Amino acid sequence: MTAPLPAALFAVLVALAAATVAGAILIRPWTAGLTKRERLAWGLAAGLLLQAACLLVLLAVHARPSAWKILLLEAVAVTAAWLAGGKRTAPAPTAVGERGSRILLAILASIAAAAWLVFLFGALADSMWATDFLAFWGYKGKVIFLTGEIPQRLFQDPALYFAHREYPLLVPFTFAALATFLGQWNDQAMALLDPICALATLLAISGFLARRASPLSGAVAAALAALCVFLYRPANAGTAEVPFALGLVLASSSAVDFLEREAASSLGRLALASLFCAALKQEGSLFVLLLAAALLLRTRRWRPVAALALPVAAHWVFLYLLRGNQTRRDFDFTLLTPARWPELSHRFGSVVGRILGTEGAQALVPILAIAVYFGVTRRGIADPLLPVFAAQLLFYAVAFTVSSFDPMYAIDGAVRRITMSLFPAFTLVLGARLPTVSAGAARIPRRPAPETARS
Amino acid sequence: MEGVRRALAVLSLLVLAVSLVSPLQPAETRARFERLKQAVSGDARFRADRASFWFDPDYAAFLDDVKRRTPESATVAMIVPERPDLYRYQAVYRLAPRRVVEERWKGEADAVATYFTEKTRGPGGIAITGGELWTR
Repeated sequence: MTAPLPAALFAVLVALAAATVAGAILIRPWTAGLTKRERLAWGLAAGLLLQAACLLVLLAVHARPSAWKILLLEAVAVTAAWLAGGKRTAPAPTAVGERGSRILLAILASIAAAAWLVFLFGALADSMWATDFLAFWGYKGKVIFLTGEIPQRLFQDPALYFAHREYPLLVPFTFAALATFLGQWNDQAMALLDPICALATLLAISGFLARRASPLSGAVAAALAALCVFLYRPANAGTAEVPFALGLVLASSSAVDFLEREAASSLGRLALASLFCAALKQEGSLFVLLLAAALLLRTRRWRPVAALALPVAAHWVFLYLLRGNQTRRDFDFTLLTPARWPELSHRFGSVVGRILGTEGAQALVPILAIAVYFGVTRRGIADPLLPVFAAQLLFYAVAFTVSSFDPMYAIDGAVRRITMSLFPAFTLVLGARLPTVSAGAARIPRRPAPETARS
Repeated sequence: MEGVRRALAVLSLLVLAVSLVSPLQPAETRARFERLKQAVSGDARFRADRASFWFDPDYAAFLDDVKRRTPESATVAMIVPERPDLYRYQAVYRLAPRRVVEERWKGEADAVATYFTEKTRGPGGIAITGGELWTR
């Protein structure tokens, strides 16, 4: 018997709210000085990781998971963190830019809210049916929930050759945890996860830019991100793309904060965002490692590299222990051997040509609009992220090049989706450049730093 | 000059915003809103899986019947159309936690289900919604 939708939605909301509150309290020492909007977003990311960890603990001790057991474990973790009394670190950097008129801010917030509501209603009306959801994200979560364990066949059964055994597991664990709160597998009510992640992403963008650039920058960037219909559409509900976009925004914003001030809190946020990204998608590990390289080049310091790379390594070890070594059937790495370099270069040319000829051509107008915007604005605080985005796109092209299957088919099916996941994080760059065209742009006052770790 | 720069910045952001939102289809959005209203109000006409079986609305009833007639611990071989691959993925997902395999692994199966196909495993199958089912 399926519960009525309003009751089921309420249960999912309770699960996500509990996770957010627990996550926010757990990482409180790292979020001092952030805006309330940012703290909510960080709370959700930390909460989803905590919720998955609680589920794993219950599965590991063969205790049938239930909502109360998960809540109890979350409460224990929060209490332990509270008692440990994590030292509050220096407040995050702040700048006070142009506020913008209240009417303009209200209009931009209304646009973002309306776009978000369209996504919310669409996701709930359509439920979750994307191929990726049915074949692996949702399937693995459903099996874990219904069996009360993590069956090894998910990683070893040859009949599941299509289920991407090598993929990270935060999304399936989250679905299994939400179903535990519901007491049933209800893929319509659980579709709420993606709109909630989208909302957290918009809050993180607007909160970060309001703090570091200006409230107007935050409102503009959040509205642009919300309007990204190709990402925030019902067909993406149940895939990892929407939570991944949140992870990218959190990782990017904490990197920009670190460049301003090398505080322990920024390092903590970098580490958390890194774990969140790596646990969601393989591209997440790639992004945070590229971010680590960018920070190393800019600061010549190894601490941010460690903060970003260690969670990726720890996550890899965890997955290895859980399911053993998994081959990447998607890729033919023999193409990288010297004997096949001529073939590789030919394929790379074809891949780039296809991407530019299809997706690039279709996106010509927005690309030109971005080019004009970059032409008339000056450097913003988030510009150091640009090489990371460029390198990520380059690696996507390389990944398509060494695809085991027809790269053209993969490009047509995936390139826009995975590229659009980057867009909300890219709006940080766009928004941060906005004050540079405002009157008095060069005179944005910066609050003096009470504590600077850089020596 | 500052004014021109500012105007161009605003204009480029507006163009970007319009480009981003252009894939939105108002008619589909309205239809989704109506479906959600049906779902929330408990309207009997609402079917949660309507969108997910766009490729073959009858397939849902077939899978439901296979699910009813096989235990959760069973391995079920599904002989269903190869295209679109949603036939396979819907079977794997809807029948979970049953182990669902393709025809090439039917030797390992406790049950074989066929959907609108002449392929059979021999006599002894029972007619189910939209197909036949053989059990060991």
